[in-house]
Amino acid sequence: MDHAGEMRVAYRGDPAKLFPLALGTGVLGVVTLGIYRFWAKARIRRHVWSKVQLGEDGFEFTGTGLEMFLGFLMAVVALAVYLAVVQVILFAFGIRFIFDPQNEMEEIAQGVSIGLSFLAVLPLMLFAAYRARRYKLARTRFRGIRFAMETAAGGYMLRGLFYLALTVGTAGLLWPLMTFRLEAFMTERTWYGTARFRQGGRWTALYGAYFHVLVGMGLLVLAVVFGAMEEGWMAGLLGFVGVIWGMVGLILYRVRAFAYLMSHKEMDGGLGFRAEPRAGSVVWLYLKGVFIVGLLGGIASAVIFAPLGTLMVGIEEASELVQIEIAVLGVLSYLLMLTVFGALTLVFVSQPILGHFVGSVTVTGAEALEVVRQRVSDRGADAEGLADALDMGGAF
Amino acid sequence: MLPGAEEAVWFDGVSARRQVVMVEPSPDGRALRFGREVWPLDRLRRIEGEGLVLAHLTGEGDELPHDPARLVLAEGPLAEWVRGAAPALDRRDLRRGTWGRVAGRVALAGVALAVILFVFLPRISDLLADQMPLEQEVAFGDAVVRQVQVWLGDEEVPLCRKPEGLAALEKMERRLTEGQGLTYDIELSVMDHEMVNAFAAPGGRIVILRGLLDEAEAAEEVAGVLAHEIGHVEARDPVRLAFRSAGSAGILALVLGDVTGGAVIGLLGDHLLSASYTREAEAAADEFAFALLARTAVGTEGLAAFFERIEGMGGDLPEILSTHPASGNRAEAAREAGGGAVEPVLTAAEWQALRGICG
Repeated sequence: MDHAGEMRVAYRGDPAKLFPLALGTGVLGVVTLGIYRFWAKARIRRHVWSKVQLGEDGFEFTGTGLEMFLGFLMAVVALAVYLAVVQVILFAFGIRFIFDPQNEMEEIAQGVSIGLSFLAVLPLMLFAAYRARRYKLARTRFRGIRFAMETAAGGYMLRGLFYLALTVGTAGLLWPLMTFRLEAFMTERTWYGTARFRQGGRWTALYGAYFHVLVGMGLLVLAVVFGAMEEGWMAGLLGFVGVIWGMVGLILYRVRAFAYLMSHKEMDGGLGFRAEPRAGSVVWLYLKGVFIVGLLGGIASAVIFAPLGTLMVGIEEASELVQIEIAVLGVLSYLLMLTVFGALTLVFVSQPILGHFVGSVTVTGAEALEVVRQRVSDRGADAEGLADALDMGGAF
Repeated sequence: MLPGAEEAVWFDGVSARRQVVMVEPSPDGRALRFGREVWPLDRLRRIEGEGLVLAHLTGEGDELPHDPARLVLAEGPLAEWVRGAAPALDRRDLRRGTWGRVAGRVALAGVALAVILFVFLPRISDLLADQMPLEQEVAFGDAVVRQVQVWLGDEEVPLCRKPEGLAALEKMERRLTEGQGLTYDIELSVMDHEMVNAFAAPGGRIVILRGLLDEAEAAEEVAGVLAHEIGHVEARDPVRLAFRSAGSAGILALVLGDVTGGAVIGLLGDHLLSASYTREAEAAADEFAFALLARTAVGTEGLAAFFERIEGMGGDLPEILSTHPASGNRAEAAREAGGGAVEPVLTAAEWQALRGICG
């Protein structure tokens, strides 16, 4: 402890330990046609969680591959019903516009009904996002005490849709409002044992972090104006600069919004956080990681595909059976290569960035931990199955 | 020789306090003792973490059959001894009955999906299909035919338009439809593709693939196949199939991550060509065809001959044969339903013109 009641959070991950784990579980995933991915996820999380340390104590992930697999089965059935029904109904209403737009109104309706198919999944994605975070927290322990999140995925979904509509309706101007309110919604329902978290701060304070995104958007608006005035050269330049500016601005926003929101969270008993991540470091870690992945992945691809290449010589004369065998080998090599790239990305991109964010946090008022008591366990609902079925899992 | 007592960190699973305890092996060397706890070595399980993190197997508990308490030994003689002496540190325990539960859930998921696909979807599809206005159906049918044209070849497969051939086709169409009181305005076309096939699209569009004209030896055979397809059209089978494809596409989208609904038409094209209407729908279309052929004096001999000819064909079965394993019986059934052509459908010259419609 540096100051009284302060504790540093650190990430002690080691690429040499994570890589064999990620590659091994990835290969098992290919061999089992993807079924093993749930167990792979559980093993990787157990490893990564244990490397996150608050003071001298590590975190623990207690989720199991089996419960994630069962959750996935449940989610697939629920989703099948939902999507099949939505699809048939949308088809019934959309068909008149899709195949025979009579006038401009119906052409617009055609676009809308195609967009609706996507919108039909959007509520589910919000629902699943909350559920996934709840599951992760319910299976996270520190000093033997469980974290938890209340059952409120439905409320989160409704608020998410509302703020999304606001954000889209204001051309992105109210994005910080959405970021703040949705994060606050989750934080205020988060518990560590008997202690509850709260989100302090104001949503307007996020505009500092959002500034460069606004600049990028402003440049794009200018580009459109110049385009309307037939100043093509100027419009192109402004558009290009605006896109780059906006993209860098988005990274800055993500990092600074994290810092602000994290620094204004508080746990019962006066435990707080100080987060000081640096956007420059995140970008540097990302670029460095991508370079390493490209380099090692390139070497790995050469090693994987070189033997196949020698087999390909003279394939024209080979019998049909041999040709099929080589085709199968080709597919397997391709899947193996994807697995290698996946493992490398996890180890050299995701892990360092996670490490940076984790390491940027300092806990204040850590005495509050002394009075926290255990809470009962949460069944975890679908154990992230919905998020997995919708293919929206993050790196970890 | 048992190691001596060592300091360790203890989280009691009830409070988040970090407690320092003295841990020692029990005198018989079969358990760890600290505070009031005695943890038998065979019930110790290792948790991932720095040092040796231990949990106590109780068989109770939540997602894991462990007590939530954790004991953290620093690397040293005691940790070393535990690693050597505890028999099942790295075992992942499952509660009894877990595999039964897993099998149950897998079976349940399978049954639920089957019910959705084979019971629920067909019902709701038929319901919605019956309420579709005719104009929409025609527009939809055109889109489906265009899609099949794109889908069948590397480039768009053209429709055949030689005037003499079209005239022959027109004559055949009139023979089969005029004065029959059909709901649909049948529209025939020929697609320039070597597949032996014909299919009915929504909205009364019937498409013959050139391969069928090449394979058939008389105009009556083609007329027989057309009568069968008209049966599908009049029963609105293609629209029903379209709605079912839409539902299946929803499920397919789940697997493939395609949520734009674009899979519907592609899937339908495939269904129309290869997969299938229900057995009942096929039987009904046959019945319709036999009656129509008899009424129009075309006779069922042509259809029977066609059934026999393509029965031995390997590879992709044309739609007309798809759900019927025994088409020999159908040839017989066709023959029993009515005899040979009373009046030829086309003259020899017209038949040659039809076969040459694609040029």
